[in-house]
Amino acid sequence: MTDLNAYRARVGEWLAANTEPRAEARRGDPLGLGREFTPDVLAAERALQRRLHEAGYAGITVPEEYGGQGLTPAHQQVFGEEARPYVLPDFGLMGHVCFDVCIPTMLAHASPEFLARRIPAILSGDDLYAEYFSEPDAGSDLAGVRTRAVRRDDGTWLLSGSKTWTSGGHYADYGMCLARTDWDQPKHRGLTWFAVPATAPGVTVRRIKQITGDADFCEEFFDDVVLTDDDVIGTVGEGWKVTQTMLFYERGGGTSGSVRSRDESGTAGRGRSPVAPDLVRVAAEAGRDADPAVRDVIARAHVDDLARAALGARLGELIAADPAKAAGYASYGKLAGGHFDPVRARAAMRAGGASAIAWEATAADGAVGGEDAQPPAAEVASAQLLNSRFLSIAGGTNEVQRNAIGERVLGLPREPAFDTRKPFNEVLKDARTWNGQVG
Amino acid sequence: MTVDILPALPEELRMVAEATGRSADKEFDRARVRAFADGGDGPGESYLRAGAELGWFGFLAGTEHGGGSASGNGFTDAAVVAAERGARLQPGPYTGHSVVVRTLSRAGARADVLPKLTEGECWATWLGHGGGITATTSGRGLRLDGDVTAVAHAADCAWFLVTAAGPAGPVQALIPADAPGVTVRALSGVDLTRRWHAVTLSGVEAGADSVLPATRERLAEQHAVADLLTAADAAGAMHADFTLVVEHAKSRIAFGRPIGSFQAVKHLLADTSLWLEMSKGMVAAAAVALGDGSPDAYSLAAAAASFTGERGTEVADNCFQVFGGMGFTWEHDQHFYLRRLTAAAVEYGTPEAHRARLWDLAAAGEAEEN
Repeated sequence: MTDLNAYRARVGEWLAANTEPRAEARRGDPLGLGREFTPDVLAAERALQRRLHEAGYAGITVPEEYGGQGLTPAHQQVFGEEARPYVLPDFGLMGHVCFDVCIPTMLAHASPEFLARRIPAILSGDDLYAEYFSEPDAGSDLAGVRTRAVRRDDGTWLLSGSKTWTSGGHYADYGMCLARTDWDQPKHRGLTWFAVPATAPGVTVRRIKQITGDADFCEEFFDDVVLTDDDVIGTVGEGWKVTQTMLFYERGGGTSGSVRSRDESGTAGRGRSPVAPDLVRVAAEAGRDADPAVRDVIARAHVDDLARAALGARLGELIAADPAKAAGYASYGKLAGGHFDPVRARAAMRAGGASAIAWEATAADGAVGGEDAQPPAAEVASAQLLNSRFLSIAGGTNEVQRNAIGERVLGLPREPAFDTRKPFNEVLKDARTWNGQVG
Repeated sequence: MTVDILPALPEELRMVAEATGRSADKEFDRARVRAFADGGDGPGESYLRAGAELGWFGFLAGTEHGGGSASGNGFTDAAVVAAERGARLQPGPYTGHSVVVRTLSRAGARADVLPKLTEGECWATWLGHGGGITATTSGRGLRLDGDVTAVAHAADCAWFLVTAAGPAGPVQALIPADAPGVTVRALSGVDLTRRWHAVTLSGVEAGADSVLPATRERLAEQHAVADLLTAADAAGAMHADFTLVVEHAKSRIAFGRPIGSFQAVKHLLADTSLWLEMSKGMVAAAAVALGDGSPDAYSLAAAAASFTGERGTEVADNCFQVFGGMGFTWEHDQHFYLRRLTAAAVEYGTPEAHRARLWDLAAAGEAEEN
């Protein structure tokens, strides 16, 4: 305890002296979408990450031999709490993928040599890793990937295929890439993870324009990209194990209280509980905040926010009490986001009424005032509406989470599958001619 | 089986939870619950005594009034007991009784009555929600008139804590159920696991010693206790209903396999269990906040009642759907959960009313800060 208190004091001192206080939330979405990572922005973020690393506050729970601090999750939590009012390095969604998903997954599966070579450069902000994971033809059916890596006689690998929905792929230095290395094995076997340099010959990265007009995600094409065994993460052919670890971290399973209320000032146990201030702002700017029907819509969203925060706390306790079910429990947090984000986004639109669908163009669109000007609440609400199905689809759809909860937590039997036993190259052929007959 | 409102209960509280379950199973098991629903007798004196021995009625009273907490937070204790009672469809006005105990203990009032309530000599309940009672000044006391409907187990109560609209704002009094002018009328009700009554007060005299302070804070705390325990009882009932339906989904065979393997059923149950987990989380968050005296505790309690009110009936509906035709039979327990959760969703206020109080609490909090 004393140790943690001393650590807290040291962290607080360092942050106050070396980082900027955090201003109001930037324009856009709490998911961190919509920010443009220009070379200047990226260089500044990398510099900040380097300072953090040099001061000993990057990779707090990562072993020292891999460039981390070798401290406990409690230290990590203390740091997180102290850091809340300050600006930390922000690499967008990809930053979350890199530091909260890729690093712990690598630590769980990659060889000591791989870790010693790669992790320090990640912690210092020099090498950022995205996930080359989903494919145009393999989304929810993750194990159905068709990107292939073929081992050549000289021991190198040749990668070909394509990936999509890579968060921040356009400014990542590497991608953790799942490829099929044995087509004669059933779907979940014969898979292997590789670290692919984004700038390697044969890699093409293209940005995808989203419905908001932003382009936070990319698709990648691999034309005979040469890789070596040094690039392999984990054991050849056992990529599905790695994937399961990855999914666990992706669904927030690595953090206790993985679901945070949208409005942090309104979370349980933290002082007075103002009713959903962002929604009140939408209603107020529309002159509708005294309407009892609107107030009920807002209060209902607020209750849901509180219930999500309470769920997050409960999941942390459930996982601590029964770590074997951690992956199933993490799915609750993901499903809660997938369910309630769209509900909340629609509530905001209803709170604003007609004023939520059309607004005066302002500085926030780029002319005067720059990033500091607060955009109209309606604009924020509309952007959030368009992004609101993010958690219900990305990183495992609601349906995938429901299966995980049903099977791993409730113990319900699985649906029969047609593709788990036969060689994967037969799966695709049989599926194309499937006539509804089973067996 | 315990409801696990908190995944890791402190040892003392786990023992209370388990003993509560055993006691309910001994004193008023499912056969008695069913007989009660058919018009049979409620529990006798031994039931109250057994509950009192487990501390049921004293968690929210100070030790100086014969109360005491098992875990250090009496709100968590009471919520855990309420959840176990809800899971076992137990009769009795535990929520209203707890509001009265808390109020008397905090006010340091009626030292002649409070020990009877904590020791399980009799039930009391709270007529503080409906708003149908008016008060006029009568000497140094009050004269009370009005009606309150849908009061659980009013006929089993020896005392009523009444909130009335007085000439200068709300007033409160504790009156004996057999005071002149008090009429308790049996009603038929949708929730057959409890008995429902209308209480009429006509010219009931409450002496000065019966009048209690009715500050905004005191009234808000009463609502918070009612919200918390209503939500906890509902979470318990949801838990029990859901446990049954998961077993059903695993064992019922259709189209050659257990119905729980079909995604249409599995996904409905996954959503249902999400509402259940969130409900439990809300009950725990509210109980902890109340125990800590957090400034947002009353808001969390109101939010818990709103959430469990809406999701509780949805859980019952979803379970009904998966039970199929069996849910329509008297013989199956499903309808008892549906009945109890339907009542819980409105007993001390609709979800809309709880949300309206959220705004009031937020406004009061702001006013206090300024």
